[in-house]
Amino acid sequence: MMNTHLDTLTDRPETEIRKQDAMTSLQLRQIQKSYGAYHALRGIDLSVEQGEFIVMVGPSGCGKSTLLKTIAGLETISSGQILINGRDVSNTEPGERGIAMVFQSYALYPHMTVAENMGFGLRMAHRPKAEIDAAVMRAAKILRITDQLDKRPKQLSGGQRQRVAIGRAITRSPDVFLFDEPLSNLDAALRTQMRVELSSLHAKLGATMVYVTHDQVEAMTMASRIVVLNHGSIEQVGSPLELYRNPANLFVAGFLGAPRVNFFEVAVDSVSGRSAAVSTAGLAPLTVELADGASVQRGDKLTMGIRPENLSVVSSPETASFSGQVRLVEHLGRETILYVDAGSLQCVSSESGNGNVTVQIGHVTAVSNDAAIGLRVDPRDIYLFSSGDARTISTRKSILAD
Amino acid sequence: MTNLWRRHRWWLTPTLLIMPAAVLFSVVILASSVQSLWISLHEWDGFGPMTWIGFDNYRELFNDPQFYVSLKNNVIWLVMFMLAPPLGLAIALLVNQKIRGMRFLKSLFFIPLVLASVAVGVVFSWVYTPQFGLLALIFRFFGATAPAVLSDEHFVTFAVVIAALWPQTAFCMVLYLAGLNNLSEDLIGAGRVDGARGWNMLRHIVLPQLTQVTFIAIAVTVVGALRSFDMISVMTSGGPFGSSSVLAYQMFEQSIFSYRFGYGAAIASILFMIMAVFIVWYLTRIIRAEERGA
Amino acid sequence: MYPRPIPETAVWQRRFYVAVIVGILVIWLGPLFAVILTSFRSMQDVMGGNLWGWPTQFGLIENYTAVFTQTPMSQYFLNSLVITIPSVIGVLILSTLAGFVLSRYRFPGNMLVFALFVGGNFLPHQIMMIPVRDLMVRLNLYDTTMALIIFHVAFQTGFATLFMRNFIAALPDELFQAARAEGATPFQTLVHVVIPLVRPALAALAILLFTFIWNDYFWAVVLTISDSVKPVTAGLANLRGEWVSAWNLISAGTIVVAVPPVIMFFLMQKHFIAGLTMGAVKG
Repeated sequence: MMNTHLDTLTDRPETEIRKQDAMTSLQLRQIQKSYGAYHALRGIDLSVEQGEFIVMVGPSGCGKSTLLKTIAGLETISSGQILINGRDVSNTEPGERGIAMVFQSYALYPHMTVAENMGFGLRMAHRPKAEIDAAVMRAAKILRITDQLDKRPKQLSGGQRQRVAIGRAITRSPDVFLFDEPLSNLDAALRTQMRVELSSLHAKLGATMVYVTHDQVEAMTMASRIVVLNHGSIEQVGSPLELYRNPANLFVAGFLGAPRVNFFEVAVDSVSGRSAAVSTAGLAPLTVELADGASVQRGDKLTMGIRPENLSVVSSPETASFSGQVRLVEHLGRETILYVDAGSLQCVSSESGNGNVTVQIGHVTAVSNDAAIGLRVDPRDIYLFSSGDARTISTRKSILAD
Repeated sequence: MTNLWRRHRWWLTPTLLIMPAAVLFSVVILASSVQSLWISLHEWDGFGPMTWIGFDNYRELFNDPQFYVSLKNNVIWLVMFMLAPPLGLAIALLVNQKIRGMRFLKSLFFIPLVLASVAVGVVFSWVYTPQFGLLALIFRFFGATAPAVLSDEHFVTFAVVIAALWPQTAFCMVLYLAGLNNLSEDLIGAGRVDGARGWNMLRHIVLPQLTQVTFIAIAVTVVGALRSFDMISVMTSGGPFGSSSVLAYQMFEQSIFSYRFGYGAAIASILFMIMAVFIVWYLTRIIRAEERGA
Repeated sequence: MYPRPIPETAVWQRRFYVAVIVGILVIWLGPLFAVILTSFRSMQDVMGGNLWGWPTQFGLIENYTAVFTQTPMSQYFLNSLVITIPSVIGVLILSTLAGFVLSRYRFPGNMLVFALFVGGNFLPHQIMMIPVRDLMVRLNLYDTTMALIIFHVAFQTGFATLFMRNFIAALPDELFQAARAEGATPFQTLVHVVIPLVRPALAALAILLFTFIWNDYFWAVVLTISDSVKPVTAGLANLRGEWVSAWNLISAGTIVVAVPPVIMFFLMQKHFIAGLTMGAVKG
């Protein structure tokens, strides 16, 4: 599935608000939500096309769950507009918005059987019994839970409950599916399995889905587009690889990717044409290509970001960008993580919190604790962020890396 | 019409649902209570018109020796009732063992709690009956003669309170048993590892976990003590010569038997004010806990 | 567990412990046993002063028959049922509705309403006695079972609303959001989600209310005078005045008054205890 998206999504401008067309399934216009003086959402604009799988991520308290609940109608909005299939539903009851929601705790009614749970919404709408039964059966078949229909939620495992919760959403055949961290209560193995199932379910139904999670693996693997939220605002919208390769700003760069990006404070030594040479104590000068429109002057302070996997160990000190001493080695089997003390070159907001540089090597290495090593980075892999608004000022990177 | 309903449903539904309870409770309970305060400023026989007399009822009350007898008895009730929580805890500790048949024995201990207070009053009247009662029987066993406790003004209040303590202790016992069932096994285990046993365990590990239960136990005991009416009415009718009366009973007697509704209302108002101190203390605790929870 | 459990293997220690508990229980229930035994005695023994010796004859059947045939006790008993059962049902309905609103809707004054319900519940009954009596007189309900039903429903609604509110508030929030997202109206949510889930609470509350209302004595004497409306509690107090020293009959009458709540308690012990201790343990 990933592959089909790759060619269509490459290099598409993502942040602009597209004009609403027939294909737009969900549109948010300037959504604001405040509790007294606290602004939970500060003007969210987003257009979701029919059949898209949108994943909203962000740190806890960023407003992602609040945003989902405003789309569902479980929370009112202070201002703005919500359109579903072109219909303004900003003041519509949740049940009449054409949405269905899957909750973190599954929220299955414990006193009802699986079938009753799944048919509840239709029953409340006084639909004929035959129609309800047919809808429940259809959803149960899709999720392969037809043999569970007479059980009660208590008799089911976590994964089965999750299926029922999804089945309940399918039964309503909504215009938009909303998921609120639905996998966070499952154990790791089951979570991977459900992730795959959800992706194939999306492919099968072709429905619009909006999915909230704090797990970036879920975001990267399932999303057609990721929405990164922070402090109630959208930081960036785009395909997973676009966001990973071309974060719009320091926040997105730091949020996506594990282990985290290494950030360093650097100064601009010189600017020539579209590239700038940057350096700092302990770091050999590096020449980085700048993005169009980036204005940088000699002496500017910038933040530099290097992903741990873009650092490689070199044997000769001359080719090294910087060198340091290995403080800790983590063998993860397929790969190895090194935490390197680079002396005066201190990493700001590093993974380990003590200024060490994180290095990810894609193979087993014999490097041991306290070994002195040289590390090299290809300047094309470097991100530069302006120190004022933290926007990315290094040039775009090709999504399909070599 | 439907549209109007749909538009306002979000607030109309809750309002309609809470209305019956709120109206009934406000009119019958709250408004009546306030009205009593108003009546206490009048002279009224319950039938004719009310005559405004200001604070005369209260003035009379503060010069009424019976008022002080009742007040003193209320204090005796309150103090003696405080035995109920520790006694209840003691019995709870005693029966908190998992032995075959213990469950049934436990439930037998609960019985006084479900008896009507009138029944308890009659039971103890029988126990206290001179010459024939259980108390007389026990005294005779030791070669003594039991005093007629219910007709002796020195003993009577104590005798009635002991009877009332019977169900109250059972109540506290039920509360503490539930509390003991909810103790943190980890904390008890940690205490055992640290060498706490017996009294030290109770004092430092168990009781701190029962704070909430103790709060409730004391609250219901205070309310029970101040509300004492049934037992006095059944066992002594306030006698002999008003010596076992309490404010609640004196109020009832003045209103129903002497048709002095204004005076009765004044006594009720004093009782209410005593209780109000307690209610305010209780409510602030409850509401603070609620807001912490919310 | 505290106190430390007596080990399963210490069989004799366990037996001894149970024996001690039974001993304490006999003392604890001694007064009740005395009354039960007395209710078995014949009139001759009671009048002849033979109250504790071996009975010359048993009066068990005669005594209980006398209570029901020679006194209005059967009428009182019926009255008690006529008062208690509708009151319990009324309180259950009102408190479920009010508890649902108080636990699930935030509105200004929510806490105030809650505080009034809780606080009102602790008021001394005497403070509302005169106005309530007057109200019933003016409504032409004085000395009817309806007067007691109205009062009990009003008063117990305070406690019961607190009870139901806490129980409903403890239900997971997402269940209500799910119901809303699926288009259930608040009323549908109440009927299809809340009520099925609070059935245990309703059972606990019902048995508690039954005991409270059945055992009420104060309001029975304030609001009723006729034998045709008086409940058993007030009736028993009356009979005591009439019979003076016929302790065998008084005892039998007492047992009759005591039996329904005791039976209810043993039938629904778990619910009763759960109801009484709710809030005490976790709060």
